[in-house]
Amino acid sequence: MKLKKTSLLLTLGALTLLSACNDEETHVSPTIANEALTTVQYKLTNTTDPTDTVTGQWEQLLDNNGNPLPVDVSKANLNLKANSTYSAEIVIWDKTQTPVFNVSDEIKERANYHLFFYQPLPTDTTYVIPAPTGSDTYPDPIPTLLTLTAKLNMSITLTDHDTNTQQYPVGLTTLVKTGAASTGWLRIVLRHQPNVKDGTFAPGSTDLDAGYNVTIK
Amino acid sequence: MNKLIVVISLVMTLLMPISGQNGTQLLSGTVIENESNKPLDGAIVSIEGLGSKITNSKGQFIFSGLKNGSYILRVTYIGYKSISDTIKYVGKKEVSISMIPNMEQIREVVVKGKKQDVDNSLNTLLTNEIKGVELTKIQGKALGEALQSIPGVSSLQTGPAIFKPVIHGLHSNRILIFNNGVRQEGQQWGLEHAPEIDTYAAQNLSVVKGAASIRYGADAIGGVILVQPAPMPVETGITGGVNLLASSNSRLGAVSANLQQAFNLKSGILSWRLQGTLKKAGNTRTPNYYLENTGFRESDFSSQVAYQNRNFGVETYYSQFNTDIGVFTGSHASSIADLQAAISRPEPITPSYFSYSIDRPHQTINHDLFKVSSYYNFKNDGRLEITYARQQNLRQEYDYIPLTGRLNPELYLKLITQTVDVVYKQNLGGGFESMLGINGMTQSNVRQYQMLIPNFRNYNGGVFYIDKWTHDKLTLEAGLRYDFSWMRAYMLNNNTLDIMTPLFVSKNLSGSIGAQYQFTPNLSWSINAGSAWRPPSINELLSNGVDLDAGMYMEGNKDLKKEVAYNVSSSLQYTNNRLKIELGLYNTIFDGYIFAKPSLTIIKDVRGSYFLYNYTQVNANFKGLDFSGSYDLTHALTYSAKMSLLYAWNKTIHDYLQQIPANRFESNLEWKFNGSKTFKQPYINFGAAYTAKQTRVPSNSDYAEPPAAYYLLNASAGASVKIFNQMININITGNNILNKAYRDYMDRFRYFSDEAGSNYSLRINIPLGKSNQ
Repeated sequence: MKLKKTSLLLTLGALTLLSACNDEETHVSPTIANEALTTVQYKLTNTTDPTDTVTGQWEQLLDNNGNPLPVDVSKANLNLKANSTYSAEIVIWDKTQTPVFNVSDEIKERANYHLFFYQPLPTDTTYVIPAPTGSDTYPDPIPTLLTLTAKLNMSITLTDHDTNTQQYPVGLTTLVKTGAASTGWLRIVLRHQPNVKDGTFAPGSTDLDAGYNVTIK
Repeated sequence: MNKLIVVISLVMTLLMPISGQNGTQLLSGTVIENESNKPLDGAIVSIEGLGSKITNSKGQFIFSGLKNGSYILRVTYIGYKSISDTIKYVGKKEVSISMIPNMEQIREVVVKGKKQDVDNSLNTLLTNEIKGVELTKIQGKALGEALQSIPGVSSLQTGPAIFKPVIHGLHSNRILIFNNGVRQEGQQWGLEHAPEIDTYAAQNLSVVKGAASIRYGADAIGGVILVQPAPMPVETGITGGVNLLASSNSRLGAVSANLQQAFNLKSGILSWRLQGTLKKAGNTRTPNYYLENTGFRESDFSSQVAYQNRNFGVETYYSQFNTDIGVFTGSHASSIADLQAAISRPEPITPSYFSYSIDRPHQTINHDLFKVSSYYNFKNDGRLEITYARQQNLRQEYDYIPLTGRLNPELYLKLITQTVDVVYKQNLGGGFESMLGINGMTQSNVRQYQMLIPNFRNYNGGVFYIDKWTHDKLTLEAGLRYDFSWMRAYMLNNNTLDIMTPLFVSKNLSGSIGAQYQFTPNLSWSINAGSAWRPPSINELLSNGVDLDAGMYMEGNKDLKKEVAYNVSSSLQYTNNRLKIELGLYNTIFDGYIFAKPSLTIIKDVRGSYFLYNYTQVNANFKGLDFSGSYDLTHALTYSAKMSLLYAWNKTIHDYLQQIPANRFESNLEWKFNGSKTFKQPYINFGAAYTAKQTRVPSNSDYAEPPAAYYLLNASAGASVKIFNQMININITGNNILNKAYRDYMDRFRYFSDEAGSNYSLRINIPLGKSNQ
């Protein structure tokens, strides 16, 4: 009988434990996205006229679960003067944080792992950033089937360097040269290349892939 | 160690050899209790070189394949003194063995002997076991890797350290794993979430293949894996063992040790056991390069205290499993562009060198299990078993350090599971045995940081009844089960900050019926038909986000219904003194098979483009064949072969199903040498394994074509060696000894890298205490 009692007690104890659940799961923690680069500003300043500045903004905010909302390309426009030279910098923000977090400063600190690539489109020279193949696409607002054929007369040189033993460019600051009037797009890709940065595009993975409409007049 | 007083009366009744023509030389006998002359059911009778048998309810056993000469016969039965004696065999013979209790108080059975160690239910399902010598050859491997030696069982791999077991092409939420009698719960829906189990703690690994829901509950559609530790000791004194493992490829080192002791109390036996394992491995090397960041560390611990007497037993068990696994950096390709680039490379662009260090990305998993279980044997021969368990699974996955510099994991999931199982077994007489049971489970899941799956709370309950009838050569069994499942998720609305609480409820009735017929002592046949089901898992219902190493954006489907499977399996077993054959056939029809289907939509985020995958349900059919056989070419040389064939079909769209293991063939030649007193049971084994190319794949649904067929050569050798009066078991295994570069269709990293090159492992087992005989 004593044993029966023991087993009965055990069962009851177990059932009590089962029902005595706390409700930790009912409190939902906010989503903190892994790498939320939401806003990319490309700021150009005419080297001969510091008052002539152009800023294009590409933005993709996240919903409450950290998933991407449609890209806002309304300000992703760069209207440049023909046959001019601009010094440019890229500023990246994480707007999921309060206060808004300046990501480009972090990239500067970790320049040895990062490399920006700038691809004017259309182009008649070798692609700096491989064009999408198969099901892959260009970032908005660049149409994946490029609707223009005449090349965009724009060239971009990276003007900063990292501190790797063999120094490579970073691309937070650039020099942009425009040619004759033309229209097209600019694609900017940030590659994350931990321990494998060698100046080329291939190693590592993409942290950021953004696009701009470009008009050169 | 013949301290035991051996009381043996071998009543050797010479019987006329009934048939000499087959050369089947039989030894049969009965094991009885000394005082009462009652037959002992479940005693283990072993003859050196012929294996061991378990006595039936009449205490009978039978051995075949004897030759005239001397044999060592050993009989063990819990609660009785072991018997070991040399018998002279001349023609057919029958022996009677009487056993005496080994304690003053406990003169009777402590643990009721059962024919099937596993569980006395559902004998008609296809079942395989790995134990004894076979287990020592694979010890220290991950569970999913260790079980690959069973026909019909393969693994779903994510790089060299993460293995998920796959039974008949089904895995994750379609199979159940029972660790020491407790349903293992640890986010098993994840394709790169391996079971959190230390195989060193197991004495026996068994796999029940096919729909086994009836006894084990929802989710057991593909089958059940039972990981069982050794029974608690009943003989007084301290025993234990030390296991050492060193492997060449990833320079893996492992140490595992266990210590146990039993005390005789006036009323019963009190025992304890401590067990622990440490493992460390560095980067794995493929034939041509190292895989960066593929090392892992593991530290496991378990403790157990049990009290048992004739009628009552209670046991507490606590275990911890902790691991930190590096994720191969060359696989870090989330977008379609990165993935395509990685696939097009002949080899990864990652630094190729050896290192033990584990950097981001990596996953750390901590799994705690606490269990208390009890049994009570009633006077009417009924037995009640109650088990309560609480497990906590904490999974933290770290990606590269984000630019924000935050050090937190990207993914944090804490799953707390509590289970209660109550089973009543009753021997009704007349060959009837029945089992009535209730299973209850509740889970709470809490996530932090990234959103992959939401928080949830679930309650699951099931009640089942199984009846078994044995008469002469025929066994019939049938079972019925009802399950209820309730789950409420807690998640933020995408646009407002309100908490949404969608509710998912499903219930199901499942059944099973089976028959087994023993045509002759050599030949038996069984057939089983059953159904199994599972509710859709949380990720299938509510996931919404990017799978970081597959270029897939997964979108759940709240409207998914339960998945139901109907399974028919049949097996044929034939054993004579030279030949052993086991053939299994199965056919499973799915109503509402859930899988992630690629849609034509592309999702874009700041990193690039992803394919959108939606979870959908289709009707599917899995059918296949498992074969294993062995033939003794000579007394010392044995040839064995295994084959696993599987064909899986999507009946809804009339196409093949994705990620189904390819057909496999294996052949082995084992040479057993004559040992000596100090060098026992030496063997050498050579094996070749062939894996076909998976040609049955759906069109346009994969980034790369399935890898080519490959064959691997493996070898192993081992023996028990006596050094300074201490027995030591040693074996050496070599895998992929030709150092062949190959890729496997079931490895999710096949897009990025080759499989491991040659690997040599040395395993040393040192039994301590009484078991050192």
